[in-house]
Amino acid sequence: MSVETLDTVVRTEETGILSRSGVLRRLARDKVAAVAALLLVLIALAAVFAPVVAPYDPYLTDLTKVMQPPSAEHWFGTDNTGRDILSRVIFGTRNTLMLGLVGVLIGGLLGGVLGILAAFYPRADGWIMRLVDVMLAFPAILIGLAVAAVAGAGLGAVVIALVVATVPDVARVARGAAVGIMGQEFMEAGRAVGVSDRTLIWRYLTLNCISTIFVFLTLRFGQIILIGSALGFLGMGAQPPTAELGMMAAQGRDFLFMAPHIATIPSCAIFVIVLAANLLGDALRDVLDPRLQQ
Amino acid sequence: MGRQIVHRLLVSFPALLGVLFLCFCLLQVVPADPAMIIAGPDAKAETIAAIRNELGLDRPIPIQFIEYIGRLLRGDLGRSIISNKMVSEELALTIGPTVELMLGAMLLAVPCGLALGTLAAVRRGSIVDRLIMAVSVAGVSMPVFFIGLILIQYVGFKWGLLPFTGRTGPVWEGGLPSLILPALTLGLVLIGPIARLTRTAVLEVLGADFVRTARAKGLRETVVIIHHALRNALIPVVTLIGLQAAFLLGGAVVTETMFSWPGVGRLAVGAIVSSDFPTAQGAIMILAIAFLTINLLVDVLYVYLDPRVQRS
Repeated sequence: MSVETLDTVVRTEETGILSRSGVLRRLARDKVAAVAALLLVLIALAAVFAPVVAPYDPYLTDLTKVMQPPSAEHWFGTDNTGRDILSRVIFGTRNTLMLGLVGVLIGGLLGGVLGILAAFYPRADGWIMRLVDVMLAFPAILIGLAVAAVAGAGLGAVVIALVVATVPDVARVARGAAVGIMGQEFMEAGRAVGVSDRTLIWRYLTLNCISTIFVFLTLRFGQIILIGSALGFLGMGAQPPTAELGMMAAQGRDFLFMAPHIATIPSCAIFVIVLAANLLGDALRDVLDPRLQQ
Repeated sequence: MGRQIVHRLLVSFPALLGVLFLCFCLLQVVPADPAMIIAGPDAKAETIAAIRNELGLDRPIPIQFIEYIGRLLRGDLGRSIISNKMVSEELALTIGPTVELMLGAMLLAVPCGLALGTLAAVRRGSIVDRLIMAVSVAGVSMPVFFIGLILIQYVGFKWGLLPFTGRTGPVWEGGLPSLILPALTLGLVLIGPIARLTRTAVLEVLGADFVRTARAKGLRETVVIIHHALRNALIPVVTLIGLQAAFLLGGAVVTETMFSWPGVGRLAVGAIVSSDFPTAQGAIMILAIAFLTINLLVDVLYVYLDPRVQRS
């Protein structure tokens, strides 16, 4: 068998899992998932085009309009310095989503590489998995606290915490998937015809693991956002006046009894984002990768 | 069973060393040089060198690490920069409240989660099942502080039912009212995941042969559900509680900060905000060790619950 025909074998294996149109059609049939997906798209669009969508400047204070409850003029009311909360929530969503995405992408990349290498090189397996175990010994919040203690609070500390929170689990999932693929005949065949390790890892192994890793990351995204906003709430993330949902909730806490909406609206925004992400993740898992069910 | 536990202890040893080393690094990368601080701003280079030598800061890093572990074993974690108290004393005061909070949350979440999950599985597909699952997905998506804010706002402030700042004392000395709201906040976020997994696990077990046999013997349905199904479903649930330990710990830090609960998490956050490195390092280390211990306990419990693990 030549390398080219082998490639088609590998490819069919891929398209079996990754046929996008089928996935979308099956997802659309699930009403809850469809609503969640639509909601996420809207939220993402609002976040991307925040400067256009936001009705006011999120940093513009107006001391004549302090702590106003929601009204026609300010849909979500104003905060303790008279800033428009709707605009701040839109900008805050932008920062919160960005944190989650960066954390999940970098963490997914590192974890995926570690897991696949562990499966491909049995010699490195023990060492990589031990490293993963040590990383698992640190809950994400603690990493965030530790980094903030050393380097000072800021978005960087949160990103590092989110990456460390993502890497070990992704590495385990990727290793599990890759070990399964290592046992397939086309891997052996590829080796037999002298395909280089690099091609084996990239074209044969990685491409076949990607959908599993992708589904897992979707499932984790909600949790990652929760961790990021908790760190923001603790004051380890974005610093004022930057709008970030967790930090906004923490600031509103001081005015909870006078104007509860200042703290509750950003918290509610986090809840909606995470809920939509979790519902979509669950549906995607059922469609794409039933093996991950547990 | 003993061998399993010894093996598990040996496996968690490198993780413990990793935790200690990272905490040690935390003290190393502190932006200011301790010797310079002690010597003062216009000290001579020789004086600084002498202090460095006295503190052992000029020795190679591995030796310093071993010395650090030696100090830890003697219970010496240094002094707080802010209050000048021994860090070990501050930690000793805060560990109790944190353990109390976590236990309170678990006592609430585990039975509720198990009951709701089992109910959902038994009434599979009914409106009860769907309702329980919807609520648990919502619970999983809830930020801890959101629940806390709502409880403080309504139960604590508007209705004035329970205290919501600080801790009046240990539970056995009338501290229960001040524990309820924090424990409820932390516990509510755990019910969702536990209920979800219990449902899956019970459903799986309900389809097993031994459950059919138990029913065929004519056992009452409650006996079948509780003795046969739930007992076996507990195994994956216990593992899940182990996985939730990270969640529990992170949630505890947030809850303590919100309710001014005098625990390790609040100590850590306060120390970081005021750049009190020795205290922050000690508090983070204790939390990480607590996390390792929870996972170890879960593994031991796992072996106890599932005799199959012992044999393999």
